Amino acid sequence: MIIVSEDEDDSDSNPLFFLRQPVHDSVFNINHDYRYLRMGYYVSAHAETFGVEVTPSCTEIMDAYRNPLLMEKAKRNGLPTNDYRLITSPCDLGTPAMLFAVNPFTNNSMKVVNSSEKLPGVIRKMSYDARFPVSMHPLTGEVMEIIQMFGESTNEETSVFTKKFFEIFNIPICKLIVQMDERGVILNHCEPAMKKEVKWDIVHEKVHEIKQGK
Amino acid sequence: MKIACFVEAYNFKDSSERFALSKFKSTAESMGHVFEFIFKDDIPKIQNYDALFIRATTDPSSSAYIISRLAEQSGLKVIDDPHSIRTCSNKAIINDLFLKNNIPTPKSLLFTGDYSEEALEHIFKTLGLPVIIKTPYTRFSSHVEKANDEKEFIELSKHLMRKSKVLVLQEYIRSDFDWRVGILQNKILYLCKYCIPEGGWKVKSKINGKNVWGDTIAIPRDSISPELKEISIKLSKCVGCGLYGLDVKETDRGYKVIEINDNPSIYNGYEDAVDADIYEKIISALVS
Repeated sequence: MIIVSEDEDDSDSNPLFFLRQPVHDSVFNINHDYRYLRMGYYVSAHAETFGVEVTPSCTEIMDAYRNPLLMEKAKRNGLPTNDYRLITSPCDLGTPAMLFAVNPFTNNSMKVVNSSEKLPGVIRKMSYDARFPVSMHPLTGEVMEIIQMFGESTNEETSVFTKKFFEIFNIPICKLIVQMDERGVILNHCEPAMKKEVKWDIVHEKVHEIKQGK
Repeated sequence: MKIACFVEAYNFKDSSERFALSKFKSTAESMGHVFEFIFKDDIPKIQNYDALFIRATTDPSSSAYIISRLAEQSGLKVIDDPHSIRTCSNKAIINDLFLKNNIPTPKSLLFTGDYSEEALEHIFKTLGLPVIIKTPYTRFSSHVEKANDEKEFIELSKHLMRKSKVLVLQEYIRSDFDWRVGILQNKILYLCKYCIPEGGWKVKSKINGKNVWGDTIAIPRDSISPELKEISIKLSKCVGCGLYGLDVKETDRGYKVIEINDNPSIYNGYEDAVDADIYEKIISALVS
């Protein structure tokens, strides 16, 4: 197995070098950002073109990073979500609500809207005047951001949740936006972590375990 | 069977495309199927259908990818399927695919922004001048530039690198037309010449400040040369079993594949001008 990582300590190959070579062995792709058209995505796509197994696969990346696909996969696999709607104009879901843009341009897209008067304007802006859908989630608890690294996080309260997330989605590093309410942790969104937000000592430990074949 | 056709409002602006869409609908209905146009607000209803045909522009960042993936997961027959969208939408990935499968192409390199003297020398020595510069997500000849010298290459590539971390560089092959080979389920569906407009260098060229499209000349699919047929089918099999449009240059060194596209254009009076049964064949593929 080849470890392709942006972190030189862990890496058998850095992403730029990897992209210039043919691939003959399975690949573990470690990156803080797997978004489409970013280096993390290209590494997985390059490996797939050469027909080798790669973690995460491009399908897994897209399933995690496109909000409606994330929600549907989570639901199918029993990870708690709430009833999101895909909309281009205000619906009867009401406020308070969390909104996520489903367009090609936006990354940190979460907007919390508490007042129903403000909802149409926010949706109009996020949907670029109804050109793209917006994923609207009811707000029922405390909103939290968790950095997930190989199923672990720095937050003990969410450790069972992040472990299950990694088992289902197979994304080594990402930021999860969740709500905590009386039902526990509820998944709302997945997006790239910032490099400085990642606990690289946890990543090193996990990569070491992978290399040892654990 | 119940077929959903995913479209956006812009699909109905051009009368040739609008008429082609109505031909899809009437053909499906004449074959005993239900054919409904659906829009992005209808995405959650996709599991109510048996098949999905996408005519809106596809890209992994688009709504079309979401409906394609949801439909695939619900067990619908899908054209364009998510794998084809991910592969064909990205010219850097296509470049990998060509190399891996020994597809004859213009000489190409991936460029990630190394402007060192050695890197530039390697580019011009390998590809010559002019050099074609493409972003991975080019469509309809947009985001494709031609650099005639090193200075122009640096200017144009720096501009395009603001939008993409990776660019595809290609040897420039002058031609009067590109072959467009339409393929469905790894069989030739239609054949056209997409002509380069006079004074331009690509199918959609900017001439005197205006975008000008070259003519489309449909050719009977059975008249395709054995060599072009073999290359086209070999390449389409490398991607999948969907609907594709290949762009190919004919040179004195043989055929050179420029790209393979999912979601190829089908306009009334253009791609269907000779082989008019393409609507029936696509509907049959959706319900098979």
